Amino acid sequence: MFVYYLELAARSFRRDRALTALMIVAIAFGVGASMTMLTVLHVVSADPIPGHSRDLYYILVDSQRLDSYVPGEEPDFQSTRFDAEAIVRARRADRQAMMSGGNVAIESGRPDLPPFFVSARYTSADFFPMFRAPFAAGAPWTAAEDDGSARVAVITRALAGKLFGPGDAVGRAIRVDGHDLRILGVLDAWQPNPHFWDVSSGRTYGETEQVFVPFSTSRELKLRPEGNMNCWGNEPGPNDNLALDAPCTWIQLWVELDSPDKVAAFHDFLISYSEEQRRAGRFQRPPNVRMRDVLEWLDFRQVVPRDVRLQTWVALGFLLVCLINTVGLLLTKFLRGSPLLGVRRALGASKRSIFAQLLVESGAIGFAGGILGLGVAWLGLFAVRHQPTPYAQLAHLDLPMLGATFGLAIAASLLAGLLPAWRGSQISVASQLKSH
Amino acid sequence: MLRMKDVSKVYRTEVIETHALRELSLEVREGEFVAVTGPSGSGKTTFLNIAGLLEELTSGTYTLDGVDVSSLDDRARSRLRNEKIGFVFQSFNLIPDLDLFANVDVPLRYRGLSRTDRHRRIASALERVGLGSRMKHFPAELSGGQQQRAAIARAIAGGPKLLLADEPTGNLDSAMAREVMQLLEELNAQGTVVVIVTHDPEIAARAQRNIHVVAGIAADLERGPALVRAPAGAADHHQPTA
Amino acid sequence: MRFLVDTGPILFSLRRHRTAATLIVLQIALTCAIVCNAIFLIRERLVRMDRPSGLVEDELLRVRLAGIGTTEGAQALTKRDLDALAAIPGVKSVVSVNMVPFGTSSWNSGVSTIPDDPKSPMNVATYLSGQDLVGTFGLNLIAGRNFQPEEILSFEDTAEPAVAIVSKATAERLFPNQDPLGKALYFGSKHPTRIIGVVELLARPNDWGGRDAVGCSVILPVRMAFGPASYILRVDTDRREEILAQVDAVLEQNSASRILDSKFTYTALRRDYFQQDRSMAWLMFVVSAALLVITALGVVGLASFWVQQRRRQIGIRRALGATRGDIVRYFQTENFILATIGIVLGMALAYGLNLVLMDKYEVERLPAQLLPIGALLLWSLGQVAVLGPALRAAAIPPAIATRTV
Repeated sequence: MFVYYLELAARSFRRDRALTALMIVAIAFGVGASMTMLTVLHVVSADPIPGHSRDLYYILVDSQRLDSYVPGEEPDFQSTRFDAEAIVRARRADRQAMMSGGNVAIESGRPDLPPFFVSARYTSADFFPMFRAPFAAGAPWTAAEDDGSARVAVITRALAGKLFGPGDAVGRAIRVDGHDLRILGVLDAWQPNPHFWDVSSGRTYGETEQVFVPFSTSRELKLRPEGNMNCWGNEPGPNDNLALDAPCTWIQLWVELDSPDKVAAFHDFLISYSEEQRRAGRFQRPPNVRMRDVLEWLDFRQVVPRDVRLQTWVALGFLLVCLINTVGLLLTKFLRGSPLLGVRRALGASKRSIFAQLLVESGAIGFAGGILGLGVAWLGLFAVRHQPTPYAQLAHLDLPMLGATFGLAIAASLLAGLLPAWRGSQISVASQLKSH
Repeated sequence: MLRMKDVSKVYRTEVIETHALRELSLEVREGEFVAVTGPSGSGKTTFLNIAGLLEELTSGTYTLDGVDVSSLDDRARSRLRNEKIGFVFQSFNLIPDLDLFANVDVPLRYRGLSRTDRHRRIASALERVGLGSRMKHFPAELSGGQQQRAAIARAIAGGPKLLLADEPTGNLDSAMAREVMQLLEELNAQGTVVVIVTHDPEIAARAQRNIHVVAGIAADLERGPALVRAPAGAADHHQPTA
Repeated sequence: MRFLVDTGPILFSLRRHRTAATLIVLQIALTCAIVCNAIFLIRERLVRMDRPSGLVEDELLRVRLAGIGTTEGAQALTKRDLDALAAIPGVKSVVSVNMVPFGTSSWNSGVSTIPDDPKSPMNVATYLSGQDLVGTFGLNLIAGRNFQPEEILSFEDTAEPAVAIVSKATAERLFPNQDPLGKALYFGSKHPTRIIGVVELLARPNDWGGRDAVGCSVILPVRMAFGPASYILRVDTDRREEILAQVDAVLEQNSASRILDSKFTYTALRRDYFQQDRSMAWLMFVVSAALLVITALGVVGLASFWVQQRRRQIGIRRALGATRGDIVRYFQTENFILATIGIVLGMALAYGLNLVLMDKYEVERLPAQLLPIGALLLWSLGQVAVLGPALRAAAIPPAIATRTV
């Protein structure tokens, strides 16, 4: 019967071309706009490190002054260098890494490739295994290199290709801000989005850093950090802000803990660390610590742009209006055809088969709307990609979203068809058959 | 074939209650050709709608070909309508955007017959009414008489035992009307029960038996004008579906 | 009132078509609510994009460069750069400054009127420049004076500046109803910084601190070297591109071991900064337009159906003496009634939507004067949409009443 209903739907479309076209277009635009924005939302709010996001914790302790203390207030959102180094050194977690962003000049020494800037990350050895960074060649540095401020680096495959061509980059030297560093490893394609490990800068989405240098090395070589820095108290001279004991927060600190027991134990450790620091006179406030996993941290920092959420709601509102529009038009169309439905009823069609027939017709409109909606979504995402927002480049229609677009179109049209189809199946047969 | 006992039909709205049929009892036997007559508003059409399972009755019993239909749900009623009953309407009620073939196909589709079976039945039904060569024509391309013959082909394609016709000649000129009546008589001769609702005495005269409905109550004219039950309060009757 | 003469029969007939009428009312209401909020968001973004910086933006260029590794003598090199840039024909003046309005980086500091205040009552954007920032930015100095050469410190000095120029907004916040000149500011220390001048407006680099903090800034006389700082050139408006093209070569001559990071006209800088707002405004505009079109087509569809359904009734009315105008008016009145119900519902919905947006997206309260605009928009939309079907209805001949079929 389904095929027969499809035939009937096709005939019905031919009968009311304009009305049918209008419904298809309405569904297509509603679905297309919604899928465009949902794709963007999906991209910006995706779990950047699926499978591990619940084991990785962003750590904060409160080292600010007592006289500005408000009980219950959040600690500053980054760590001081002193605390970060101390907590990493304590090795109480499965893995731990401290880090800061940077911007460094790369000199290839080749006349055809003038010096250029790349974004860098100054971090410690556990960064790579902790964030599951894939290596194409070589390996990450170890704690020994951290301790020795070794002149080493890990770079991305893209940068390796740019500097050395297709050859093996491991073991070669890269000139970073005027210093030669030995390349220990080359990262394979790796682009977790957002860059959850550092959401303080404007570059939360897009490409990852291209050069990774031990944090200790970055301080010895005085590589420029980049990102947010908050200092308090009687500020020392500006150049000392990066010193070990500077009252400035600018370091991100992450640990990996794979069980609730370990999480609890680590929390206790942070409390006792805070108390110890307070006894030593470094901390003034009572212990005030925070541990948030990746998703909690992204949520807390409101990483997903507010505009994207707002736009998604607007798009869904648009879809809702399109749906109501379709309900109205379907109702109009079905009731206009009620004399013919009456004939069908007289010839033996049950209410149920009329309902099915009309629902198939609605679904067919959804199907057509879905195809057109894919086009609209494709155009919408094309427009999004041409925006200069950092996440724009990521907005592509992947297979699940493609399926979702179709699913949404058909679900929406079936939903829109429910009431009209029910009304169509409930017509009074006898009165439809009288001469008119 | 068709037996109604004490069938009443009451239409209720918020404001008024209308008795379209009052305890109507009648019987149509196998092989009969019956005309149902009566003045406008007497309940002829309501009778036809109930007989054709288009409307449910308010009280009483209705047995069609041995099946008590009053307890059936919509699905079973539709099935029964599809298999046992053929409809012929005054205004033909062909579906304008289907050709004759597809029009005749409609009831067969709802029966879920195989493709070859359907094709065979459609061809033979259209041949039967003399439109075998017009299968690909659309209703608008045919004369009124041809349209009504096509409607009859659609009604008989499923091989119904009962043909219900509502003023089948009402929209036709006399030559065409004669043609259609002849066709109905032939079908009756081949064993189909035919019930015609009409107010045309000429048509009624061609039937084997007349049932006269007055104010929702039937009188069997063949056996004399004895009313089954005396009319009561006939003044408040009118036909709401007209 | 002739216009409403059909109200009775219309209401009666609408009750008979309750579902369809409800749907169209709902659609108008939702459209009204969304469009009202969208117009408001567009307006808000446009206001934001028009936000004044206080600078003579169409005369300014910005150049950023950075040294490779630690640069010895950066201040001296910066001095040479500034001299060389100033020598380009068409350049009026050049400064080296740590940040600019609508740039990417911002330097902020807590400030207080009392020494050693741990809880600074206010946060200001701190502009640092050792040259004539007021003149080059084209700021309007409304009180006091500019910096003297002997007041200028170097960024590497550990001393804190003795004097500052503040924006009017900063002055009014710290010293309401007082003359700010000569008053002392404290940047979390015991050291006082005296206010020697007030500029009318100098915007913050970004939206840090929210809407109220936009104009809160101070200028400190601190000489900045390239790297953390960028160069701002004030030039002849018509020669911007030409001068921008020469910048690389001029700077290259001074030292080859640097990388030019970026160079922009200020106009481009502003455009980039507000890009997201522009996208948002466009998106809202497109969605609103699409919504209005869809709703208009919905009205057309429904009205056409009703006209078709009432052909006979219309014919009878015509036969009984209704003029074509009467028929058109009937459908217009009907649409007016539906639209009005929709608009009233829509207003309430718009207000509710706005409350949610205020809560979640830091949107301001919907101004009341926007509501009549939305109402007018939907009323006229409905009238325009219904006109076609109404005219078709008016064209139905009275003779249809006498036909039996």
